[in-house]
Amino acid sequence: MKRLLSLALVLGITTAYAEELTNPLTPEPEHIAAGKKLYNSTGCIACHGNNARGAVGPDLTDDEWLRKPTDQMIFNTIRNGRSGTAMSGFAGDITDEQIWQIITWIKDENRKRKEPKK
Amino acid sequence: MKAVQKLHSRRLWLAVAGAVGTGLLAPTIALADPVHTPVTDEMLLNASRESSNWLMAGRDYAGTRYSPLAKINTRNVKRLVPAYSFSFGVQDAQNTTPIVVDGVMYVTSSHAKIFAIDAATGKQLWAFSHPLPENIGKLMCCDVGNRGAAVYGDKVYFATPDSHVIALDRATGAKVWDVVVGDYTKAQTMTVAPLVVKGKVVVGMSGAEYPTRLWIDALDSETGAQVWRRYTIPGPGEPGFDTWGDTDPEIWKYGGGSTWITGSYDPQLDTLYWSTGNPNPDWDGAGRKGDNLYTNSTLALNPDNGEIKFHYQYTPWDVWDFDGVNETILANINGRKVWLHGDRNGFLYNIDRTDGSFVWAKEISKVNWATGFTPEGRPIIDESKVPTYEHKAMNVCPASEGGKWWNPMSYHPVAKTVVVPSREICVDILAGKSDRVEGKYNLGIAEADWIKGHGQLVAFDATTGEKTWTVQAPSPFTSGVLTTGGGLVFAGTPEGEFKAFDIKTGEELWSFQTGSGIVGSPIAYTVDGTQYVAIPSGWGGWTGWATWGGKGGSPHLKDNRKGGTLFVFKLFDVK
Repeated sequence: MKRLLSLALVLGITTAYAEELTNPLTPEPEHIAAGKKLYNSTGCIACHGNNARGAVGPDLTDDEWLRKPTDQMIFNTIRNGRSGTAMSGFAGDITDEQIWQIITWIKDENRKRKEPKK
Repeated sequence: MKAVQKLHSRRLWLAVAGAVGTGLLAPTIALADPVHTPVTDEMLLNASRESSNWLMAGRDYAGTRYSPLAKINTRNVKRLVPAYSFSFGVQDAQNTTPIVVDGVMYVTSSHAKIFAIDAATGKQLWAFSHPLPENIGKLMCCDVGNRGAAVYGDKVYFATPDSHVIALDRATGAKVWDVVVGDYTKAQTMTVAPLVVKGKVVVGMSGAEYPTRLWIDALDSETGAQVWRRYTIPGPGEPGFDTWGDTDPEIWKYGGGSTWITGSYDPQLDTLYWSTGNPNPDWDGAGRKGDNLYTNSTLALNPDNGEIKFHYQYTPWDVWDFDGVNETILANINGRKVWLHGDRNGFLYNIDRTDGSFVWAKEISKVNWATGFTPEGRPIIDESKVPTYEHKAMNVCPASEGGKWWNPMSYHPVAKTVVVPSREICVDILAGKSDRVEGKYNLGIAEADWIKGHGQLVAFDATTGEKTWTVQAPSPFTSGVLTTGGGLVFAGTPEGEFKAFDIKTGEELWSFQTGSGIVGSPIAYTVDGTQYVAIPSGWGGWTGWATWGGKGGSPHLKDNRKGGTLFVFKLFDVK
């Protein structure tokens, strides 16, 4: 019984760790607007360019990514940086919620880019 | 005689005989052990005549980037093939110029690495890596690059992004000293290639996209101790302090004035020439009405104490991020001692280096922010091209990167020709108010839309300032330029093409695809009589001009391929 309990506990923890982070924010206009403002004021714009179309760093609004652009991957990259590149972590500069706002804006830019041109 | 001695002393082959007895089956190990002849003041003073070597970033104290070597020339350059390639193991901006001393190359890479390699074979002799703080990337506007090393005595010197200047033993790569000259957490960072003058290691600073007050330092080459520091923005009571307006009493502490391009030195005049970059905030001039001395200038300095003898300012009250930090090439033209300077503001300047007086300025690319010059050499501004909070200045030519960007030009002293890597790209700018926080960007920009343009390589007759030829290309030439005694011009492109041109006509004679965009500078040297040409390849640095706003200046360069490889070429020889 004790062994079963331990196994269940281990499985539970493993499941909890394996759970993917997802954006808790919905793509409401206020989150998108806040994300764009933060993108500019935090300095993301200096490397990734106007409207995140790329400069020193890559274009963030297309589908060409080094790793799959899951919410978790983008969140971790903004928060912790990407080792071996010029991408620093911004954990001390902005809150987790602000990171999600930036992601909300980036995803919206990606969505808009895919819309058929009128 | 000296050349013969050096040839013999360059390599000391140590034969370690493992064989004993008959020695028939016993291995014999022969180690190539290059002898590291001390680099003397005399060698540096005569660097232009050290034809086999490339002793400093600009090759000589005049900064010509001209090699007299002629074995590779217009007639045989088509036979140029790779001798070897050398991977740096890291990507991002490979902005370096390699150094070569008696068959050993010292080459820096991005992310604070330096390598010593056998310049004939590419074999690594040693490698040194300075571990960078995790957050360095966001404290540098324009990538984690480095522009090269310097050599003196038995040491090689290089600067790191987090503002260390490090001296290594040239033979072993062992650290001799390591000093911290700035606070990287305040964006006082370094990418410069040092210059050794009279036993002092002179270095400059990056960081004027952030609120900083920057400087030039001279360090004792033996110990790293500071000999002098020259701030580029005057403090209270100093000449020029009153050129920052009266609306912001603190502006002098944060006005930028970076110094990240290596200077030049005239031993006869005993004067060090070092250029300075843009004021901060870059595009917002509202809080700094005035000339903003000594930004966007070349300073003529006493190398013993850093005192300013005189200066020439290219762009007073810069509100376009024209950043006058580019190199000065010292030349004697029409009997006059002058410096040549290609500026991001679009002009090629000829300035008297005995007193800083204006000789002439010629357009490298289309210029419309200024309509001409006063007789004293002050630009006459077109007010419609001045961005403010309310006025979006449209079609400002050139855009912030020039004209001529930072990538060094070359002066061929025999042909009296200066060859400038250039571009024709303009921009729309609306200034904006940004907050001044140390360690955070302070660009002063609300909108910037680069307008699609093209690249060009432009040759000038230095005696008249007239253009002799122009090579057009889809993208700006983003490498430094090398000219040679073989009548050749070498330059590279964002597409990774390393090209050779005829200096008389601009005709393209040879090209090689290096696999990544080129933002470093080529050199030429010899080992055992064989001439080599080397070029670092690896895209990076500030590339916002390519894709930013509107269509961008060169939209086809979106997500251009990164890399990190040195390519070295020699003539194909059928044996």
